[in-house]
Amino acid sequence: MFKREYKFNLKSFLIWTIITLSIFLLVYLMYPAIMSSENAKMIDELVKVFPKEVLVAFNMDIASMDSAFGWLKSEGSVFLLLIISSYAGMLGSSILLKEENDKTIEYLNSLPIKRTTIILNKVLVGIINITALTLLIGIFNYIGLTISGEFNTKQFILLSLTPLFSALVTFFICLFISTFTHKTKKTLGISLGIVLVSYMLNTFSAMAKEVEFLKYFSVFTLADIRNVIMNSSINLTVILITIILSISFLSLTIINYNKKELV
Amino acid sequence: MKNILEIKNLTKYYGKTLAVKDLSLELHAGEIFGFIGPNGAGKSTTIRSIMNLINKTKGEVYFLGETLTKDNLTLKEQIGYLPSEVFLYEDLTVKEMLDYHESFYKKNLSKRRKELVKKLKLDESKKIEDLSLGNQKKLGIVLAFMHEPKLLILDEPTSGLDPIMQQVFYDLLQEEKEKGTTIFYSTHILSEISKICDRVGIIKEGNLLKVESIKELQSKNLTNVTIISSEIEKIIKELKVEVETLDEKTIKFKNTLNSNALIKILSKYEIEKLLIEEPTLEDIFLHYYK
Repeated sequence: MFKREYKFNLKSFLIWTIITLSIFLLVYLMYPAIMSSENAKMIDELVKVFPKEVLVAFNMDIASMDSAFGWLKSEGSVFLLLIISSYAGMLGSSILLKEENDKTIEYLNSLPIKRTTIILNKVLVGIINITALTLLIGIFNYIGLTISGEFNTKQFILLSLTPLFSALVTFFICLFISTFTHKTKKTLGISLGIVLVSYMLNTFSAMAKEVEFLKYFSVFTLADIRNVIMNSSINLTVILITIILSISFLSLTIINYNKKELV
Repeated sequence: MKNILEIKNLTKYYGKTLAVKDLSLELHAGEIFGFIGPNGAGKSTTIRSIMNLINKTKGEVYFLGETLTKDNLTLKEQIGYLPSEVFLYEDLTVKEMLDYHESFYKKNLSKRRKELVKKLKLDESKKIEDLSLGNQKKLGIVLAFMHEPKLLILDEPTSGLDPIMQQVFYDLLQEEKEKGTTIFYSTHILSEISKICDRVGIIKEGNLLKVESIKELQSKNLTNVTIISSEIEKIIKELKVEVETLDEKTIKFKNTLNSNALIKILSKYEIEKLLIEEPTLEDIFLHYYK
């Protein structure tokens, strides 16, 4: 079952990977030209004109845009987080539900396999694909940055891995939500909504002290990019929360799916 | 006679709508049990409850003496299921689908698979998305039969099959019966029941009306009677049955009286023509559905 599931999801995985890598490729192709121009030095000056809140939102207060790595730490990391989390959300909301949506569940249910085993096989494929997407982007960026100039390797590795935490939790939340319906069209919108709302809440929470509490309602808080940029480390609490939330939503998914009427 | 499948007091509500009410029945080893009823009678709900696709409001299903739960894999391995509409993985070829199916079973299924594919004339190289409805049904039949289950649950199995394939399928059922397989055969096609089933359960509006052998049903004291008489009004009045008036002198009705009693009544009147016919199985079923 795992093999079939992996093969089935490979196509969408490749599409997401190719599109994401193409966008990063454009950045690596464009950045040397931008940086070698006479106006390059003006970018940092221009950035300083932005309100502090905007700079914080894109990590531009703690990262300089004068190199490809600088871009990756600021706008790039936000883009990376949105892409990997959107992929994880869409995968989570459809990987299990697709069987009901396509009505193949009547066949699958007749086979000698437990519902829990069905979930675990699909979850394993989901985790592998999300991790593989993160790693492939990381490897691609490593090559791109190596060509583009110098960068802090440790900081880069942590920065590449950190979207995985919010993406995995998004995957498990969307997987759980998918056990409440029979149609994927209902959950795909919700999954993208979760990603966008999380992004907004995370951005607002970084802008002002008064709304800092909003970060507790955002899965993007788990990515902890600012800590990686400032301290070159990943907070252990973030890892623990990711594991706890992932296991909790997986358990809820198993409980709910085992009670669910599949047609 | 040994019971293979027992359904006890099965009740299913969808919200406040009753789909099946307190249904109990047993399937004997090696029989073909016809489960008949019109659309919406509760046939598919009963089958989906047996297969644990939906949750029962009340009741239990026992297979080979054990409770058939959704996680009892030993029991599930011995059931072959063909849903009324076959939905399979469209990105796979027929061969890949059959390989996938085989991977779930411990025993080697290749011999039976080859036999079935040959009998049903399936092209293994074709993609499922390119198969016609009939060919998808044939693939569904192969998937339900290939692991040689002890119990076959078939929901409207011949819909979409051409007459030649229907005959191939009936022969296949006969083969399975001879091997001792028990078959639960749900349909709304009455002629199939008399052709292949040993016993039949009639379901109407979620209630199991009757379970009888085909022989018993056919021997019921029900006849089709046609009378031509100038005193037809008086005859109708005395018979007190629902009649179909063909013209002012001719009536036709389903008679439940024995022949002696009927003739005794009719002997009082001028009868031009009397025709007493054996009912078809369809007539018997329709009689229950009144």
